[in-house]
Amino acid sequence: MSSSGSAQPVDARLSGFATLPWRRIILVVLGATIAFVVIAGAYKTLTLPGDERFSGDFWVDQIVNGLGQGAILALIALGYTLVYGILRMINFAHGEVFMAGAFISFFFADAYVKSGFLNSNTYLALTILLIVSIAGSTLVAVLLERIAYRRLRNAPRLVPLITAIGASLFIQSAFRGFFGPQPRGYPLPTLLEGSVVLAGISVAKVQLLVFITAIVAMVALQLFVNRSRTGRSMRAVAADSEIASLMGINVDRVVVITFIVGGILAGIAGLLFALAFTQVVFTMGFRPGIAAFTAAVLGGIGSIGGAALGGFVIGLLQAVGPSLFLKGFGVPSENSLRDVFVFLVLILVLVFRPGGLLGTGDAEKV
Amino acid sequence: MSPALLEVDGVTKRFGGLSALNDLSFEVGEGEIVSVIGPNGAGKSTVFNVITGLYPPDEGDVRLRGQSIVGLSPNRITRAGIARTFQTVHLFPNMTVLENAMVGQHSRSKAGVFGAILRTPAVRREEEAIRERARECLDFFGSRLAGYRQDQPAFALSYANRRRLEMARALATDPTMMLLDEPTAGMNPSETLELRDHIVRMRDELGLTVLVIEHDMRVVKGVSDRVVACDYGRKLAEGTYDHVANDEQVIEAYLGRRHEELG
Amino acid sequence: MQPGVRVGVIAGVVTIFLAAVGLIGNFTELNIIGEEVTFAQLMLVMIPLVAGFVATAPKVEAGELVTFTPQRAAMVGAVSGAVAGAVFGAFVVFVDAFGVERVRSVFLNVSPVLMDYLTSGRPALTAAAILTVISAIAGAAGATYRALPDAVRRPLGSAIWVTLLFGFLQRIVPIALDQLEVERDWLYSKITGGLTWVGAIVIALVAAGISVLKQQKGGAIRGAIVARRDRGAEGPRITPLSIVLMLVGLALVLIAPQVLGSVISDVLGTVMVFALLGLGLNIVVGYAGLLDLGYVFFFTLGAYSLALLTGATLNTFIGSSEPVISLNLNFYVAVPIVVVIAAVAGVLIGAPVLRLRGDYLALVTLGLGEMIVVLVTSPWLVPLVGGPQGMRDITSAAIGDFGFRDPRHFYYLALAFVALALFVSSRLASSRVGRAWTALREDEQVADAMGVSTTSYKLLAFAIGGAIGSVGGALFAVKIGSLTPASFQVLVSIQVLGIVILGGIGSLPGVITGSLVLVGLPGLLREFEEYRLLAYGAAVVAVMLLRPEGLVPNVRRSRELHEDELDQDRWVRDVVLDEGVAPTASPQGEGTG
Repeated sequence: MSSSGSAQPVDARLSGFATLPWRRIILVVLGATIAFVVIAGAYKTLTLPGDERFSGDFWVDQIVNGLGQGAILALIALGYTLVYGILRMINFAHGEVFMAGAFISFFFADAYVKSGFLNSNTYLALTILLIVSIAGSTLVAVLLERIAYRRLRNAPRLVPLITAIGASLFIQSAFRGFFGPQPRGYPLPTLLEGSVVLAGISVAKVQLLVFITAIVAMVALQLFVNRSRTGRSMRAVAADSEIASLMGINVDRVVVITFIVGGILAGIAGLLFALAFTQVVFTMGFRPGIAAFTAAVLGGIGSIGGAALGGFVIGLLQAVGPSLFLKGFGVPSENSLRDVFVFLVLILVLVFRPGGLLGTGDAEKV
Repeated sequence: MSPALLEVDGVTKRFGGLSALNDLSFEVGEGEIVSVIGPNGAGKSTVFNVITGLYPPDEGDVRLRGQSIVGLSPNRITRAGIARTFQTVHLFPNMTVLENAMVGQHSRSKAGVFGAILRTPAVRREEEAIRERARECLDFFGSRLAGYRQDQPAFALSYANRRRLEMARALATDPTMMLLDEPTAGMNPSETLELRDHIVRMRDELGLTVLVIEHDMRVVKGVSDRVVACDYGRKLAEGTYDHVANDEQVIEAYLGRRHEELG
Repeated sequence: MQPGVRVGVIAGVVTIFLAAVGLIGNFTELNIIGEEVTFAQLMLVMIPLVAGFVATAPKVEAGELVTFTPQRAAMVGAVSGAVAGAVFGAFVVFVDAFGVERVRSVFLNVSPVLMDYLTSGRPALTAAAILTVISAIAGAAGATYRALPDAVRRPLGSAIWVTLLFGFLQRIVPIALDQLEVERDWLYSKITGGLTWVGAIVIALVAAGISVLKQQKGGAIRGAIVARRDRGAEGPRITPLSIVLMLVGLALVLIAPQVLGSVISDVLGTVMVFALLGLGLNIVVGYAGLLDLGYVFFFTLGAYSLALLTGATLNTFIGSSEPVISLNLNFYVAVPIVVVIAAVAGVLIGAPVLRLRGDYLALVTLGLGEMIVVLVTSPWLVPLVGGPQGMRDITSAAIGDFGFRDPRHFYYLALAFVALALFVSSRLASSRVGRAWTALREDEQVADAMGVSTTSYKLLAFAIGGAIGSVGGALFAVKIGSLTPASFQVLVSIQVLGIVILGGIGSLPGVITGSLVLVGLPGLLREFEEYRLLAYGAAVVAVMLLRPEGLVPNVRRSRELHEDELDQDRWVRDVVLDEGVAPTASPQGEGTG
């Protein structure tokens, strides 16, 4: 019995339509098109005739807005990146963790504004709201881990992801069932109304609060992860959970702590979001969730600095992008396409540089 | 003189700061059985991975019948005639034994979507031919993978049978050359001897060229026309078994531990 | 006692959850049997009952299987139920003490109506006590149920769930019986809407009887099936009985619209469309193993492409206007074009995207789904697709004078496409292509090493799945006659995924079942419409945690998903099955490889 000798000669690979590097071609064309749109759009926008052109103030405003939103996104992105680092899974329901804190704190905020407490004792009220928001988010995060994710730690990768999707849907629907589908207006303390002028730029007080809080939180996180014992355990488990457990680290506990930390950050983000946009609704977690995940991937999933950087970049892109790139082409109502930018960035990053900005550039493919 | 069937030419491969392969060169002539030996971590599996296209070398070239195959995807290289087995068995656990082997025939058949849907006589004939060829490859191992066994899911097989199945599957790709990565690992002495005979039969009966990574020196001695010894990704010695076994550097690489076995 | 308490607390919390979400308060009037058994009552009794059942599950402690004696089981069950009832009772007391209106300002569904219902006018503490007692009894009943001998338990179980099922089907069965002009007032009461007590008892007896018969005959058949499965053979077993059953089933499917009337046919039409979508996604997710969360992309593409190809118009405030691109093709000419468009789109999108890892691929596809929804709603594309106002005047796919907009006719159109998709799917699954997909799904790198061009086959699955999804969209457009972006939300992707998962990833009958359950049931039980997503989410999580292979599993997938468990048995099998190899063969093999 001899081999049937139907092995194709090596030459075959050099000929034929099918052997063109199609994928390469499509990628290059895609990349070129996008580069063209971006550059041409920006150029056209910036060279519009005088009365149609955006003023310098406009751009400054947009940039400030973008940074503010970016700060919030960064906080949420950190939650994604932390959980991913430990469990190698995307906590698809993290957007709902964010929403939960904001929504629960609403009821307190509402009571406080009605009783006048919000404005008579703003600092105390805000502190309590912060604690409530953090508690709410953390509770949901811990429940998620305990009920939905814990049993699936060793399951084939698709299973926890699908579970997360189901959980996300469930939490959203539960909140809708509990509290109704109507958006709720979040009160703003008078202390936070209006803006201040810093270095010639007008910044809303709320935005200033968002910035400061977010930066403080991120610094605190960095210190926690790098200096504390628990943080060290977290990094160990993220590097290799089996070895970490052999070294005596209680992996289960570390996982819960990671979710708690992610929940805390999401709770902070939730309150800031509510104050900045003065609204909470049961669906508010979905789009920021995806944007934040994009930010985490953009910065390099698993990297804390990356998530922070990614958050700000995406925030800026969302605020500045539509105006900068689309207005020049005469696209009406360009802001309605803002989300498209985020998704495009996600796709582009994952296709061209899956390791993210701060990653190595070649991520694990399988 | 026609070029050797396979040429590994100055291949270097680095992972991070570590050089897994360091300017490694050797040839395999048509119809030869060549063994690659060396201590663990010597880079032997890495060479297989580079040859089969899992990742490209950082430097150097790999040529099949004189033509460079660097940069081709693994499935292309398989189609060109190089088949391999893995150090840890990688079967398709939930497919039956026969189905596993039939996957090997994938690149030698062409029924596509329309053929699948319409199931023309030509397609049905091809499917039968695939099945037959898969059976032939399984029967190469005698009664071990024959009969009712062929309808069992692959995860139900014993360890030794799994290794045989993996080889049968590789045979089903109608290769010109087989790359066997530690085929006798984990087998008991009688299974090992049986496998040694199978390797020789592959060359004698099937006309295949075989490149084997092995630790068991009885197998190496029993099958090899030539032996290539490596350590730290470099070639230490090359030649007949006796020549390599007595090479100073090779003995040293094994820390004298195998000195008795090599003798 | 401990596990009983724990289960009880969880059950109590679940009951509070259901009350807060509104699943109890809003269903105090939904009669299942007579006027005594309403949906709300059912909830309140079933939860502690299930708690009792779960709490007395046999456990493995220190290597031994521990079961409860009937007496102890009843006690544990009672405790479990009592705790559940007490927890819920505490909730009632708390709300009462705090003031219903105040609670209601936060939790909208905790209403005076609910409280009245729960307390029946009595003081809260008394009501709590009563609830506790009732729950204790239910818990004990649940525990005792488990302890019953098989011969009693199976018929009892059948009787209960079949009766309840008929109770839930109160919107379909009476209508069908009416259409067939069968006397049905003895079965379903016109007054309460649900089953009558007489009817319930009859159904219960019949179900129990059938169960008893099955038990006697079933033993031998089950043994044969189990033995066959272990050997790996998977072919369908064609017996005279199964042929008859298939013909009956076929007949039912074909005459359904005539028997069930317009309204139900409408729901069935939607079921068929979603089944088609499910079949398409099944190829992507089930056969090739690619998690696609953006299936709504193809659904939307198909619907709008069809609209533009067949001369639909844009919906405007003042009437309608022509889209920028408009052709006037016949539906049956347009569909193949839609397929081609979708396949091309699938390849263009898939080429850069499909080499990504599972989770990343999922997110990217989700993004794509979102993108198309945003685009279709955007003011920018209004001249093409009508923006938020959408499009109208979609063709009714008429053949001659026979239009398909009528729900009863549409059902057949959709059924035809579903049948085609089933045929294509099953042919592909058992072909060289299907084999390549399975190999790719089980171990991508190795499949590639064995000569399967993984990129090509992933693209193929994506394109074919996308094409089928687009046809689903086209059908949907015909069914509704107009298009608004509201119908094309990302939620559609998740619903279709839910159908595929619940039915069993990779299983064709499973997809149909999934669609019937997840689309058909809520469609027929309108009150539950609000809770559909809640149920979806819970169902997906539950299925993933308990039975990832779904309701009607694909045998192969079950094995894939339970590999850890099978791993443990393997070495036993190795030694026993493999003659000729000494038992010294090392059980080193890895299941996943």
